Amino acid sequence: MMLGRAGLRYHLRQPWQAALAVLGVALGVAVVVAVQLANTSAERAFQRSAEALQGDATHRISAGTAGLDEAFYTELRRAGVRPSAPVVEGYVTTAGGEPLRLLGVDPWAELGVRDAVASAALAVDPGRWLSRGGMAVLFQPEAERLGLGAGDPLPVEAGGRRHELEVAAVIEPPDELTAEGLRDTAVVDLATAQAVLGRHGRLDRIDLVLPDGEAGAAALERIKARLPQGAVLEEAGEGAAALDEMTAAFRLNLTAFSLLALLVGALLIYNAVSFSVVQRRPLLGRLRAIGVARGQLFRGVVAEGVILGVIGTLLGLPLGFALADLLLGLVTRTISDLYFVLSVRSVAPSPGALAMAAALGVIASGVASAGPAWEAATVTPRTALERASLEAKARRLVGPLGIGGVGLMVLGGALLWGYGGGLVAGFAGVFALLVGAALIVPWAVRRLAIALARPAGALIGAPGRMAARGVAAGLSRSGVAAVALVVAVTAVIGVSVMIDSFRASLATWLDSTLSADIYVRAPAETGSVPPTLPEGLAADLAAVPGVASVGTSRRLRVPSEYGEIRLRAFDHGPAGDAGIVYKHRRAWAWSAFQAGEAAYITEPFAAHHGLAVGDSVSFRTPEGERRLPVAAVVRDYTTSQGAIYVSRAFYADCWGDGLINGVAVYAEPGADPEALIGALRQAAEGQGQALQFRSEAEIRARSLEVFDRTFAVTRVLQLLATIVAAAGVLGALLALALERTGEVAVLRALGLTPWQVWGLELSRTGLLGAIAGVLAVPPGLLLAAALTGVINERAFGWSLQLSVDPALLAEAVALATVAALVAGLYPAYRAARVAPGEAMRED
Amino acid sequence: MQLCGLSKRYPEGDTARVVLDGCDLDIHRGEALAIVGPSGSGKSTLLNLVGAMELPDRGALWFAGQDLAQLSETARTLFRRRHLGFIFQQLNLVPTLTVLENLLLPLELNGALDADGRRHALALLERVGLQGRDASFPEHLSGGERQRVAVARALVHGPGLLLADEPTGSLDGDTARVVLELLDELRRERGMTAVLATHAGEVAAKADRRLALGAGRLQEAAPA
Repeated sequence: MMLGRAGLRYHLRQPWQAALAVLGVALGVAVVVAVQLANTSAERAFQRSAEALQGDATHRISAGTAGLDEAFYTELRRAGVRPSAPVVEGYVTTAGGEPLRLLGVDPWAELGVRDAVASAALAVDPGRWLSRGGMAVLFQPEAERLGLGAGDPLPVEAGGRRHELEVAAVIEPPDELTAEGLRDTAVVDLATAQAVLGRHGRLDRIDLVLPDGEAGAAALERIKARLPQGAVLEEAGEGAAALDEMTAAFRLNLTAFSLLALLVGALLIYNAVSFSVVQRRPLLGRLRAIGVARGQLFRGVVAEGVILGVIGTLLGLPLGFALADLLLGLVTRTISDLYFVLSVRSVAPSPGALAMAAALGVIASGVASAGPAWEAATVTPRTALERASLEAKARRLVGPLGIGGVGLMVLGGALLWGYGGGLVAGFAGVFALLVGAALIVPWAVRRLAIALARPAGALIGAPGRMAARGVAAGLSRSGVAAVALVVAVTAVIGVSVMIDSFRASLATWLDSTLSADIYVRAPAETGSVPPTLPEGLAADLAAVPGVASVGTSRRLRVPSEYGEIRLRAFDHGPAGDAGIVYKHRRAWAWSAFQAGEAAYITEPFAAHHGLAVGDSVSFRTPEGERRLPVAAVVRDYTTSQGAIYVSRAFYADCWGDGLINGVAVYAEPGADPEALIGALRQAAEGQGQALQFRSEAEIRARSLEVFDRTFAVTRVLQLLATIVAAAGVLGALLALALERTGEVAVLRALGLTPWQVWGLELSRTGLLGAIAGVLAVPPGLLLAAALTGVINERAFGWSLQLSVDPALLAEAVALATVAALVAGLYPAYRAARVAPGEAMRED
Repeated sequence: MQLCGLSKRYPEGDTARVVLDGCDLDIHRGEALAIVGPSGSGKSTLLNLVGAMELPDRGALWFAGQDLAQLSETARTLFRRRHLGFIFQQLNLVPTLTVLENLLLPLELNGALDADGRRHALALLERVGLQGRDASFPEHLSGGERQRVAVARALVHGPGLLLADEPTGSLDGDTARVVLELLDELRRERGMTAVLATHAGEVAAKADRRLALGAGRLQEAAPA
């Protein structure tokens, strides 16, 4: 009781120290909460949407982008396969430029499959559905957001074509699942969806509700017997699961970053609790002398740490909620940029995520206090009064700690490069590297500071020597702060180099792959089905003066042995394979590809499915299942799920249509791109579809813009980890300043001016920061190598060329120095204000 | 140095504790003056005022025609740097400087760190019996050794006034005697003025004049 009271009063007398510890935990917990909430909110929104769209369906029939002939649905109904519901689904853009999901259904068929959608559709008089097209039913929240009511026009754009819809009815969502899962959705009839989305006569899928047991098995057999070529029958949840899996690596990456922030936060707690122990050593020694048991001291100090942790956690949870709002925007934008359209309006409270973050905060605090608590418990009354004994102990510890650190780094290296483990093993390796490097830091700080004392003395005299030796001598205080700073800066270097390498690899790839001068496609491509371009467009554009040749591309999703996969069919014309960046290939690859006798696969596809040149891939086409040998593995940064490339000739042979999604225009030498774009626009006029003409330079710039947006969330997390570390340094410096009041008073008495004290203190903190920055470079580069060469490949399948910009390393060292200097301003101010007389008075 | 009507009080909650209450004192060149009194009587405060480390609430401190109480912080710092040598009871040495570097610090601050200064510092170190310990750090010295270094450092730049606050307060009897003899010997050799705050009779006995501080005022003390 008395011990607890003494501890409480100590923290009340040193409120800044306790406040910084609390801040460290709060920030660490907030980052974990924010990332977890952003992740779970995005995941929940996706799951709810998938559930609402799935309804009671047990199975679905689909055929990728090509879709199913609607006659097949009629055939199924005639065969008695009911309930069954056809769906045409896609994204359009509203007048405000926001994506809106168009869910095209047969209102009567929805009964028994998606009752909520049926009730929405049947809110409109059935006669109106039959007599008029272009009607849409909105749910109340979406109608409010768009500011629309029944009878209002709803202009939308899809694939460059404008369509005038009308809000036929606005209804309250019948349940919470519909409210959440079908937000941003307009329910329309099949014909309207087909017209707007350009899928005349086609269905995206047919949802089925099949009974369990033998009856269901029999029904399945009956349907399979009727399945057209290229179609696939699967369980209803499989598609959603595959989409969810796509983002798993991305979400795991974010989680790893949030744990990094918590690790730095835990170091801060260790810092704060260990200061409080160090400063109370004489008191603890006296307590031991009057009979307080070791266990009592140990429990008391751990309890203090846990209490600080609980307060920090309680503050961190709401802070995390606020931060989650910011992160959610970045996360959903990244998912929408990279994977699929995802709309999440608000952070969904997740008790699991909150409980996990709270537990981590409190446990990390307890674990972080255990070390200082042990120090407190083992203190002897005699050594407690000797500062030198503490520093000697710290000096003795740094060697073994460093050896342990080297061991951990070797283990981390083995996990990363030693054998082909998974992503989790990769992250374990990264953390082992980071913790290993952290353990070496105190030893290295001491060595470097001692080595720098002489040159610093030669440069600026006694203050330089004092600053350098002060860093080495105060290791028991400043060591942990230095560790926190090194960990944060290591992460900054590692992640920045990885992002730079990724960007450089992408830019190099874009330079090679954008071999045409102008690219034409439909604007505002949202959703998984890219809009097609008018027939004959390629020929019209090829005839424009100044055009040397044109190439075409077709992108679609097709069912395969690996689930639904992306297929890209193209014909680069005379440019041949100039725009393809090969990683591995057969000598005969291009000729076989052109002849439709071989396929290329992208790097991520090869990595995800364990394929290489010489293997084969098969997928379903309207002409039945086709298997092609893999003649090349190519670099492609457009999608982390990977894709298969086939020639246009092969596509025409299997799909038998002339649909294209893009045209690549190769200009004649000397042609002015701007003038040519004008001429191309003119040639394309009258097609009834708005088109987008972009120069190679514009595409390149936009691609890099999306890339930068993708990593915005990573940069935010990096910044937070650095702020947490800077708070640690501030705590350490304040504690040191408090202890060194007497020393500063002597210096002031000897004639050091307040400005010289400023200089001395800032030299010390700047030196600590600079040393931390320099020490962060080697582990930072190792981390970069791990993230670039191992984590990225395991998570996404991309191999990246490691490129290190020396300026970036210099920036990181400067960041550490500036962070330490900023953190050192207040302690230096305090030190400069030390009144020598007051500090030295011993009346 | 002349102290005229010096007063100093410290706030204690809602009231104030009067430590010095109109003290007058003339400190003569070359004399050794002992200020005696029990703990808490204000000896250290008086020394801090003489050393321009604190400012009086009232009164003046005349030195070379200037009232130190009216000087700026920087001017007072420069006064200390050039004219004063300090010895405290503890916390004397800078822990991150070696013994020799501690000695050289006042010379460096005064811009006098040259080969002669270094030779002088080493000679002084030999004089206080610490030859060969110049590269040691304070934490490796005994209490007596540290205080001998403090004596050497207080004298190394040839200040006119030496202030010593309980210079032997933290030492055992024999060690205290050795340090005191050394301090007295070196001061006399250099003809320095010294003000010593102490409650130890043995220290006071070495002084030329003794004043007792009590109830905030100075008065002649009985011979030691």
